[in-house]
Amino acid sequence: MSEVDPCDWCEEVLQPYLDRDLNETDVEKVKMHLNGCSWCEKRFKFETDLRRLVRQAAVEPMEPALKAKLAALRLEL
Amino acid sequence: MSETSPEEARRIAQGARDRVHFEEEALALADQVYRVARGVSRSKEEAEDLMQETYARAFRSWESFTPGTNLRAWMLRILTNLNIDRGRRAQRTPDQQPLEEGDYFLYNRLEAASGESDEERILERLSQDHVAEALAAVPHDFRDVLVLVDIGEFSYAEAAQILDIPIGTVMSRLHRGRRILKQQLAELAVEAR
Repeated sequence: MSEVDPCDWCEEVLQPYLDRDLNETDVEKVKMHLNGCSWCEKRFKFETDLRRLVRQAAVEPMEPALKAKLAALRLEL
Repeated sequence: MSETSPEEARRIAQGARDRVHFEEEALALADQVYRVARGVSRSKEEAEDLMQETYARAFRSWESFTPGTNLRAWMLRILTNLNIDRGRRAQRTPDQQPLEEGDYFLYNRLEAASGESDEERILERLSQDHVAEALAAVPHDFRDVLVLVDIGEFSYAEAAQILDIPIGTVMSRLHRGRRILKQQLAELAVEAR
């Protein structure tokens, strides 16, 4: 059996971990590792912040003119 | 004088009220629907066209919406289907394209390029423009999922329902889409300077 490098393993499970798609045993393993490894911890923090940036990427609001056009598409009574 | 019975008149009036109620609810969701439209479109103009087509179709087919179910998901299903119908599938999904880089790749690149070791300082190297541009460069199949989950804040199950694909496909596209996004960001934020 070859030993998997714990940092490599954490990189592999980063996305399922943040998606809450990892089983409890593995979640505990990740937490234990992150507690003692600032190298991985920074990278996990970065991924979380990056997701926030992506969420904010489409906040440019819609033009009021478009809203009016959509309302005008309503069917005639 | 027409021979409308009182029951018939009541039924018609109720139908009109239901429809107005539906239209108002749909319009109230416009900002949220627009975020997704903007995310899956290349330009603001394209997003605006897509919004108008989506609302026109939704208003025409309002009777096929089941009251009490998720209207936002229903609207977005129309939107993503219209977007697919627009022939944007011409852009083939590079499913087989090798993607060897792992999830630490972007951070490693930014860290190496900046000589910084502080996470927040490294994050500052990514601008909102970089993210928007990188997102636009992600192939559609992946971008649709990314936008629905990360921007629309839908669950995997809802995204699967909206796009009519299995939940496992949602997860794999999301996973891969995020990696592609990071590669794009690395190019924009590191290579291009």
